[in-house]
Amino acid sequence: MARLRVVPVTAARLGPRLLVAVVAALALLWVAPIAWMFTTGIKPAPEIFALPPTWIPQRPTLDHVHEVLSRWPFLRWTLNSVVVAGATTVLSVLVSVPAAYAFSRLRWRGRDAIFLVFLSSMLIPLEVNVIPLYFLMNRLHLLNTYPAVFLPMIGMPIGIFLLRQFYINIPGELDDAARVDGCGNLRILWHVILPLSRPALAALVIYMFTFAWNEFFWSMIALSSPQMFTLPIGLRALQGAYDIDYGVLMAGAAMAVLPTLMLFLFLRGSIIRGITMTAHK
Amino acid sequence: MRRRYGRIVEIALFILPFAAFWILFRLGPVLYGFFISLYRWDPLGDAKFIGARNYLNLARDPRFWNALVNTLEFAAIAIPLIVGIGLVLALFIFAGRKRRVTTWLEAGFFFPYLLTVSVVGLIWRWLLDPDFGIVLIALRDMGIDPPVFLNEPRWAIPAIALATAWWLAGYRMLLFRAALEDIPDEFYEAARIDGASGALVFFSIVLPLLRPAILFALVLTTISGFIVFGQVLIMTAGGPGRASEVLALYLYRFGFEYLEMGQAAAVGMVLFLIILGMTLVSFRWLGFESSL
Repeated sequence: MARLRVVPVTAARLGPRLLVAVVAALALLWVAPIAWMFTTGIKPAPEIFALPPTWIPQRPTLDHVHEVLSRWPFLRWTLNSVVVAGATTVLSVLVSVPAAYAFSRLRWRGRDAIFLVFLSSMLIPLEVNVIPLYFLMNRLHLLNTYPAVFLPMIGMPIGIFLLRQFYINIPGELDDAARVDGCGNLRILWHVILPLSRPALAALVIYMFTFAWNEFFWSMIALSSPQMFTLPIGLRALQGAYDIDYGVLMAGAAMAVLPTLMLFLFLRGSIIRGITMTAHK
Repeated sequence: MRRRYGRIVEIALFILPFAAFWILFRLGPVLYGFFISLYRWDPLGDAKFIGARNYLNLARDPRFWNALVNTLEFAAIAIPLIVGIGLVLALFIFAGRKRRVTTWLEAGFFFPYLLTVSVVGLIWRWLLDPDFGIVLIALRDMGIDPPVFLNEPRWAIPAIALATAWWLAGYRMLLFRAALEDIPDEFYEAARIDGASGALVFFSIVLPLLRPAILFALVLTTISGFIVFGQVLIMTAGGPGRASEVLALYLYRFGFEYLEMGQAAAVGMVLFLIILGMTLVSFRWLGFESSL
């Protein structure tokens, strides 16, 4: 009970039950925009603009979903997103694991200084680099391909940071024992460190996949043909140049959110744990 | 001697794959971007060295200053909003953590973070639609005469900042909640025995102990604040007029609509320097022990 006092005084005085009720009401309000997106997506056009607004569609329809699927390569966008996010995640893990090992389990001069240099590149977001990356990808003849989108997302410092943080806390006796048995670094990494660091790997996978799945600015510049669009870029194209059609927009947005939502409902605990790890020692 | 050499090679090989990507696609482009910003680029591919002319053009362009002011305004509203809401939500979740339902509430607050920026932009454009947006309808029902947020120069940026807070606050909440869990129980016990009030405990114990987490959240949010792009593009496209045109949008338009690649690259350098400067200020202000 003592900790309850930490909350702003007013909340603490309300008593725990009332507090939870207030927070629950706030949480409902927080997710309401998402519910509103889903209901708008399955309402017929006149009902979308009905006053007073209806929360539960009176005559639900899949017309907007059909329109999205028939007028746009929506499934192709989904596939593109899966490929880009998958490649980013796999390659990030592959390059980050050995680097994090060298920055945590091996001792060498300049180790921490070099790590700090890598880490400080957190301050160079992708957005700052879009023009030079465009020049670079143009030279490599990669514009409008998958690699153009995922290559720049691989050397993100979060990968080595997250894994190193975890590796550092694994007791050194374990590698010593393996070394006595004649294991080299690769085998120690494979047989000792990796099996022990599943939570950190899971966190990195979740973080990188989400990051790549949602990336917008650079993807928009790198991809020019609608067949190559990822979901975020495709959704923007739905907006079109002509009159704004909220039914179609919300149906498209809802279709893009649905897989994320399902996955989140099933893996809520691991996703929240994983994402918490990326922001926390 | 040979063994030592072999060891250096081994360490280099462990780091090399990561370092290659990092140099090619992260550090390299910053230097390349500076190089690009010193030239005038013909759409046909010819380049002419013009020194600092692109930067001078920026300094002389009222539209650039407008974009800079808009970006600062967005950052000034969005950064405190995102970090503040994240902290308050974390305190709520932490206080109710003994109840099962709290994990679901936390999940609800966090979920928007998993959405892509175009979904966030589209949802909020619809919520804030001047005629049929449910937020405006609700406000009118309450007897308030709301501004038509996205179509009003003064309100466009605050409205986008609000949508951004809804999107990003959940991640900060997780970060702060984890930091709150790190504070040992004895701290609260001791304070309680001394008869300290809730507010006193919060300001004299909790807040100082959260400092590293706050610094980390601040740096993270500063970056998102200054590179804001997708929400603006989708919710207002920089409008009405140029009332919400931010630096990243200015960069995009000069690069890919007016094909002034040199000038766009110069904007990229300016953005980078702003982020660097703001981060140094945050470190200075809150001390160096972040949660890094």
